[in-house]
Amino acid sequence: MTLREAPQKAQGGSVEGDALAEDKACGENQASLVGEIFEGSGVAAEERSREVPSGTAAIEVCGLVKDYGKGRGVFDVSFAVQPGEVFGFLGSNGAGKTVTMLNLMGFIRPDAGTARIGGRDCFIERARIQQSLGYLPGEIACMDEMTGTAFLEFMARMKRLQDRNRMRELVDYFELDAGRRIRKMSKGTKQKVGLVCAFMGRPDILLLDEPTSGLDPLMQSRFIDLVMAEKRRGATIMLSSHLFEEVERTCDRVAFIRAGRLAAVENMDDVRRSRKRVFSVTFADAVACERYRTAHPEAAGKSERVVEVTVAGSKAPVRGAAVHSAGSISASMSASMSEAARSTTEPMTGITHSATGSTDAFVKDLAAYPVADLAAREQSLEELFMHLYGADASEKGGSHE
Amino acid sequence: MNRTLFAKELRSNLFVFGIVYAVLVMYIAVVVSMFDPELGKSLDMMMASIPELFAAFGMATQATTLTDFMLNYLYGFLLTMFPFVLIVIMANKLMVRYLDRGTMSYLLATPNSRTRIATTLAGAMVALLALLAMLVTLAEVGCAELMFPGDLDTQGLLRANAGMLALWVFLAGMCFLSACLFASASAALWVGGGAGILFFLMQMLSQAGDKLEFLENVNPLMLFDYYGLAAGEGEAALGAAALAVIGVALFTVAVAVFNRRNLSI
Repeated sequence: MTLREAPQKAQGGSVEGDALAEDKACGENQASLVGEIFEGSGVAAEERSREVPSGTAAIEVCGLVKDYGKGRGVFDVSFAVQPGEVFGFLGSNGAGKTVTMLNLMGFIRPDAGTARIGGRDCFIERARIQQSLGYLPGEIACMDEMTGTAFLEFMARMKRLQDRNRMRELVDYFELDAGRRIRKMSKGTKQKVGLVCAFMGRPDILLLDEPTSGLDPLMQSRFIDLVMAEKRRGATIMLSSHLFEEVERTCDRVAFIRAGRLAAVENMDDVRRSRKRVFSVTFADAVACERYRTAHPEAAGKSERVVEVTVAGSKAPVRGAAVHSAGSISASMSASMSEAARSTTEPMTGITHSATGSTDAFVKDLAAYPVADLAAREQSLEELFMHLYGADASEKGGSHE
Repeated sequence: MNRTLFAKELRSNLFVFGIVYAVLVMYIAVVVSMFDPELGKSLDMMMASIPELFAAFGMATQATTLTDFMLNYLYGFLLTMFPFVLIVIMANKLMVRYLDRGTMSYLLATPNSRTRIATTLAGAMVALLALLAMLVTLAEVGCAELMFPGDLDTQGLLRANAGMLALWVFLAGMCFLSACLFASASAALWVGGGAGILFFLMQMLSQAGDKLEFLENVNPLMLFDYYGLAAGEGEAALGAAALAVIGVALFTVAVAVFNRRNLSI
């Protein structure tokens, strides 16, 4: 079985369990874990173990440490990305996303821990890994003096690609005017050049560092469609971002990184469900606002007539499904969730996962007040972070409030 | 060696290469045209009036033959300093800038080992220097034959130029190693470049004054004895060979360093 064939298995439903197990699989545990996974699959397992030296994960990071001093870098980061999975890497600027990417690309050597792709060490076997890997650097610094076309042709030769059709397809797809010198291109256009370069080899694995930065909304959604198409083709994709929406629309699972430490790895569905809406309510007069705040002391006052209320997301599906998925959340998340529930400022958000009626309750409750305006937005990444990981996360990450 | 990258680097350095070569050709033509056994005497008179200055630029010998005249006025300074400028520019373009601007990440996002990429970049540098040595020789022989047919000791000049190439390779190895060694772009460029400048200054000082002659003993540039090479002396050949060997060793160390280092690109 090759990496390309693996997704069928992964999509067969065992991905959650395997993935969570893999997340914990470091060092000495690894051998037994591999044994467990291969148990009972006979010849296929033998074949696979020959193909992939250790582990089954397409991308595997174990206890990774890269310390740049002054709290910069990554510290004890572990996660695994299964073949065929789209994996999001979410964190604010400087949280350690790019450092992790650089380790995976074999540009830097870990101080401790390992980074492996397809079972191969990312530093030592970089050249071999690159045969089927597409990479988009976080900082687009193409060869300025070349034209886009010349650069792509150069990269295609460096990658020893025979076929230029995919490259042309992608250039058309992103409506890239590649004839100009890269120096003269806008940031978004440069980003397109980088994207074409990353995708043009039909790689098995894609590492994309902040892929949509600089792209306009149309191109962002084209990018998302492309990621989904590549996923269907069987590619394993890891993309980092500081934008929740980007990750939300593409990823199966998401890792939260903060101040160089991995806060958690979650299934996207669970995160989506636990993500809340923030309603900004403007009351008709200050008296009504005061009355509301007395009744709901946890609502955050923004001005004398405006409050912000956090309500469980309206996307939560039927209750049964919510309960089911709650079972697959890692222990650490469950713990921090209940902690968050205790410390959260809004009583309606108390029951996080079965709070299907909370928007309803919020609106009905609000009907008793004279409301001038009501605006809703999704929780920001920081708010979600605070909500998911509570005070613990804010201590680690310093003051973001 | 990666042929695609090699070709790209040759092309991208061609412009500055052309400029340096044009300057050298101009000087070669001027120096050769200035040679006149009769008029040379006035130059000698000028040299006698400010001997220290001429000596500093390695132009201290009273030249009577065309070959000596060329060695005197070209090899002490012009044919070392200008190519050195080219070397610093190439080290910057071929390695320092790739790392500083992060474009190295594209080269490394291809199935080419670091050794292969660094060897290709170093190879492009050495290839251009070899080409320059060849073209300089052509220009020298061409100018000499055009203006003073039969006067030039071509064999001797070829030997001197082989030594000159060895010196260039040494300087290039030094700059390339420096480029691979340091994380900061300015250090990467100027530790190697600065060492070169220092060697040149030491050479000028030791040639100009007796008191500073001890500097000759610690200056690798002194291994390039162009008069000795032209005359076919064994010691001079050894010096040139030493320069070449050290140069290749420096490149090898540079590739090894590049192979192991962290690249935060």
